[in-house]
Amino acid sequence: MKLKYSLITRRTFLNTLFGGWLIAFCSGTFFTLMKFAFPTLGKEPDFVVLNKKDFMDLASNSIKRFAWGGTVGFYFKKADGTILALKGVCSHMECNVDYRPAEKKFYCPCHQGWFDENGKNVAGPPPKPLEIFVITEEGEKLIIAKKGVKVELPKA
Amino acid sequence: MQRMAIIGKYWRKKGDSSRFLLQKVGSCPLFFARLMAAAILLLPVAAVAAPAAEKIVKIAVFPTAPYYIYIVYESLAVFWVAILGLLVIIRMKIREIERVQALGVEKEDQDAPLLK
Amino acid sequence: MNCPRLKEWLEERYDLEGVKRLAKGKLIPEHRYDLWYYTGGITLFLFIVQFLTGMLMALYYVPHIDFAHKSIIEIVTKLNMGWFFRSLHHWGAQLAIVFLFIHLFGTLLLKSYRKPREFVWITGFILLGISIFFGLSGYLLLWDERAFAAVRVATGGAGALPLVGGFIKAFLRGSMDVTGDTLLRFYAFHVAILPILTLGLIGVHILLVQLHGMSVPLSLKAEKQREVPFFPNVFYKDLAVWLTVTGLLVTLAVFLPPEIGMKADPLAPPPENVKPEWYFLFLMQTLKLFPGAILGMNGETIAILLVSGAILFFFLIPFFDSKSARGEKSPLFTWIGVIYLLYFLTMTAVGFFS
Repeated sequence: MKLKYSLITRRTFLNTLFGGWLIAFCSGTFFTLMKFAFPTLGKEPDFVVLNKKDFMDLASNSIKRFAWGGTVGFYFKKADGTILALKGVCSHMECNVDYRPAEKKFYCPCHQGWFDENGKNVAGPPPKPLEIFVITEEGEKLIIAKKGVKVELPKA
Repeated sequence: MQRMAIIGKYWRKKGDSSRFLLQKVGSCPLFFARLMAAAILLLPVAAVAAPAAEKIVKIAVFPTAPYYIYIVYESLAVFWVAILGLLVIIRMKIREIERVQALGVEKEDQDAPLLK
Repeated sequence: MNCPRLKEWLEERYDLEGVKRLAKGKLIPEHRYDLWYYTGGITLFLFIVQFLTGMLMALYYVPHIDFAHKSIIEIVTKLNMGWFFRSLHHWGAQLAIVFLFIHLFGTLLLKSYRKPREFVWITGFILLGISIFFGLSGYLLLWDERAFAAVRVATGGAGALPLVGGFIKAFLRGSMDVTGDTLLRFYAFHVAILPILTLGLIGVHILLVQLHGMSVPLSLKAEKQREVPFFPNVFYKDLAVWLTVTGLLVTLAVFLPPEIGMKADPLAPPPENVKPEWYFLFLMQTLKLFPGAILGMNGETIAILLVSGAILFFFLIPFFDSKSARGEKSPLFTWIGVIYLLYFLTMTAVGFFS
């Protein structure tokens, strides 16, 4: 059926076409720019692989630091001998924490936050406990992984 | 000696220095030994130096994987479609503007009150 | 887009009608040579592209002699679309200078510099010098063999100027020879000092063009020009031209990504037949024309003095061309302009193909 009058004016049609096409073009350009400006380098790893012998002779009530991507992880031997692996980064403003063997707690100097031996936040502003990792042993290697991550080692 | 020289000249024409030297074995073993030693030592140097002088470390300034190469050219095609589309639409707009301007509607009464 | 409430909100605070009236008043003459009007805008657009791609490059480039070359390789090989934005930056620079020269010779031959537009010419000429320096400083940041040799020659050449040469050379180089100090200094120029100067001068240049309006060539002065409003007619035409230039730029960037040579070694001899960037070739060729000594005086110094004189004359052309200042035809200066153009093209070609 042929219409007597056009549903939209020429002006609206042209402007919508122009504007729409321009938006599509600009978003394509913008997407490319964002891909460049937000690199995929330096993401946090799902797991790290360490040498077991570097951590075997650790004294009780002390920590040994390891690299977790760009930040620090703690291999922690408690006073009673049990092992814990956790991220050494405060849950408040992401400062690095330190272990105080005398108080048997982790201390964050930025805003005086305290975490106990199990990483639970006990004093100061930190809102959440420290992140705990899962430790598995594979032959001579120690695998420290995020909770819930299925570790798949590449076939060396 | 003359036969030596002729044979030597023939082998030299072929460009094979080591075989020429082999002919010399009969007449001068010590000379041959020194010459062979030099040839063996210099040959790998010659083999390496010649291409190395021209070989420049080629840094990949364009993606190498076929998957990425395909995506780059496809994106270029889409990009050109976008640009040509915009040019067509702009030409349509310009023609419409000029058509309306030719009607003379722009020369409004300047003192006409604006409707709020 | 019809947003009456937004319009009202703005109108209560700012004189929108006044701005609209001002914009509607911008008229562009239509005549045989009106295509030349687009050259300035194209150059401006390409400079904007350079600012944007330059900012992107600055996110990852490291201006230290041990890391500069490597950071560029990282940008080109490791980052998403890194090679593309670097290629865009390179080709943007090449095209910007090409269109800058087209704009320069266009305004020279059409005598847009004449009264009352002398300051437009002056600011434009200073911008030309700044742009050339942009090219030179940007090129050194590569820190490869060719760039290193080219900058050594360029700064050494500047040092041959009498009296001020030594100072200029030391100022540009930051030390006796081209070193890490030179790299850092050129980076500061390229990324901070020159951009702020450029922004200021382009602002003045464009403002003056708006104040004076578009210049109409002398030969057409007698005829009554048909004038077209810039908004919206010429605005859309300008946009179309800019989109075409974008297309050209992107195509060049994809098909001809620039190479990177080996890292510069200050102790090694320069590569065979090293040449500066093409926009310096005419200067190099001119220097080559002069013999080592003329009448007992240093040939190179004389060459540099003559070249400086020619450039100074070029700079002050609006003040020498009194005929066009009066509105009369000035064929002598047309010929001078043609000679300058031909000399530039010929010397560049000779330098390129030798």
